[in-house]
Amino acid sequence: MKISIPILNLKYKDDLYRLILSLFVLGIIAIFFVSVLVIAAYSYPAVIRYGAPFLWVKTWNPPMEIFGALTFIAGTLFVTFLALIFSVPLALGIGVFLQEYCPFFLRSFLTVIIEMLAGIPSVVFGVWGVLTIVPWLRESVEPFFNAYFSGIPFLKVEENIGYGILAASIVVAFMILPIIASITKDSLSAVPDLAKDGALAMGATRLDVIKNVSLPYALSGIYGGIVLGFGRAVGETIAVVLLIGNQAIVPKSLFSVGYTISSVLANTFTFAVISPIYASAEVELALILLVISLLVNIIGRNILNSVIGGRLSRSQFGGG
Amino acid sequence: MAEEKKKDYEIKVDVKNLNFYYGKQHLLKNVNLFFKKNSVCTLLGPSGCGKSTFLRTLNRMNDYTEGARLTGEVIIDGQNIYGKSVDVVELRRNIGMVFQNPNPFPKSIFENVAFGLRIHGIKNKEFIVERVEKCLKYAGLYDEVKDKLAKPAFSLSGGQQQRLCIARAIATNPSILLMDEPTAYLDPVSTSIILDLITTFKKYYTIIIVSHNIQQAGRISDYSGFFLDGELIEFDEAGNFFLRPKDKRTENFITSRY
Repeated sequence: MKISIPILNLKYKDDLYRLILSLFVLGIIAIFFVSVLVIAAYSYPAVIRYGAPFLWVKTWNPPMEIFGALTFIAGTLFVTFLALIFSVPLALGIGVFLQEYCPFFLRSFLTVIIEMLAGIPSVVFGVWGVLTIVPWLRESVEPFFNAYFSGIPFLKVEENIGYGILAASIVVAFMILPIIASITKDSLSAVPDLAKDGALAMGATRLDVIKNVSLPYALSGIYGGIVLGFGRAVGETIAVVLLIGNQAIVPKSLFSVGYTISSVLANTFTFAVISPIYASAEVELALILLVISLLVNIIGRNILNSVIGGRLSRSQFGGG
Repeated sequence: MAEEKKKDYEIKVDVKNLNFYYGKQHLLKNVNLFFKKNSVCTLLGPSGCGKSTFLRTLNRMNDYTEGARLTGEVIIDGQNIYGKSVDVVELRRNIGMVFQNPNPFPKSIFENVAFGLRIHGIKNKEFIVERVEKCLKYAGLYDEVKDKLAKPAFSLSGGQQQRLCIARAIATNPSILLMDEPTAYLDPVSTSIILDLITTFKKYYTIIIVSHNIQQAGRISDYSGFFLDGELIEFDEAGNFFLRPKDKRTENFITSRY
């Protein structure tokens, strides 16, 4: 990125505006790098003391000053991927329905509802989860799995309490559902009519058009939506704190309790500051979360660009 | 046009009292005309005159348009395509369409042409390969793409993409070809190739082309029609239409652009 700051030549108003705007941009860049730097600096003592094993040690024992992040990393990834597995198919279905099948008068109404859903504060989702999902899991789902699937390790019910990975994943899935659904809908609505007409004119049914034209065209946008959903799920804090059970163990089953990076930070960071190395270890957790989200963003962006670059830039739509 | 003249040849498409409304707009006003089998007919008119809308009524492309309404009849091979028993999928299979901008699917060159065959349930691989090859040859594209059939269609130039769309349109072996300003955005060389194709295709298809290029229309048409504000002002054999237009408005339109 190249930012030119014309300090000496302010003859024109334009230059002044450009200077001010450049400063704003510099501000954004500075905030980004300063926060990364601060996180990196504060986690430095822990990084030096525990080294790479920090990533795969299971023990988290503040009084003994033994710190390993594996339980939290596992919990975070577990919740995030489960939430994506639950919400992506549903969100795609909703997006396709809204754009391609929904009657016109209903579409704008449903779109508003979905966008409002995306704006609900996460603590509200968490409270809702405690009041509905947890009792439902405890009283219906877990007894059922306990009776019929107790032999399968991944589906074993260890404590029939309702709280745990599954409860957190379901609620997080609901939270990211509107994001992915509305982006799917928007991406589908951006598919040029001309492209769809081409298929319709060949005698394609609506389903043929969606499968062969609309979805391939909208794929990059939908992918972007999923990456955004991942970003929200991986960093989701308060709803997870309320639901996951908050125990530092590596989850072995769908019904295990667990802990995520963001929820352990929310729960313990305020009293971690009493011990420098404890605080540093917690900041290192934040650093890991930061790296995961940055990586997902960068990888997602690259895939997106290569897909868009390969598909849309060379297309002839819009004439010329 | 006189009734006795109409009987001289086989009529492929017969349009009777066609009215088309979009919301409150009356876009086509009582259009009556017919298209002779294996002829090339161009429909001319200024932008927004309804000629493209008319073309889209011939294969019911307005079916999914909210607020669109139509009265009158479009009779193809003796059957009103707006009749209750008509299967739109079957109808469109019999009518190929080429659009103003090339609009290949986000698929390979081969799959673009095979698309129509596949969605109509043809599974025989040899048949598909043979048919794709044949259609690409018909569209004059085969020699340029035969070594890269698996490449994405978007890797082709605009003119090649448009010929690919023509190959795609004829793959299901239609008897009618609708073309909506097929050369509007193409370079002169590609345009010339496609105009030559149209003249050759007359043997196999009834071709109806929307155009606003009078010179091109004069070069390829057997019949021509002039639309203005949703009305069909004049429809006649190309010779009469271009040289001795009956209506003053047609004459103005033709002469102002010649």
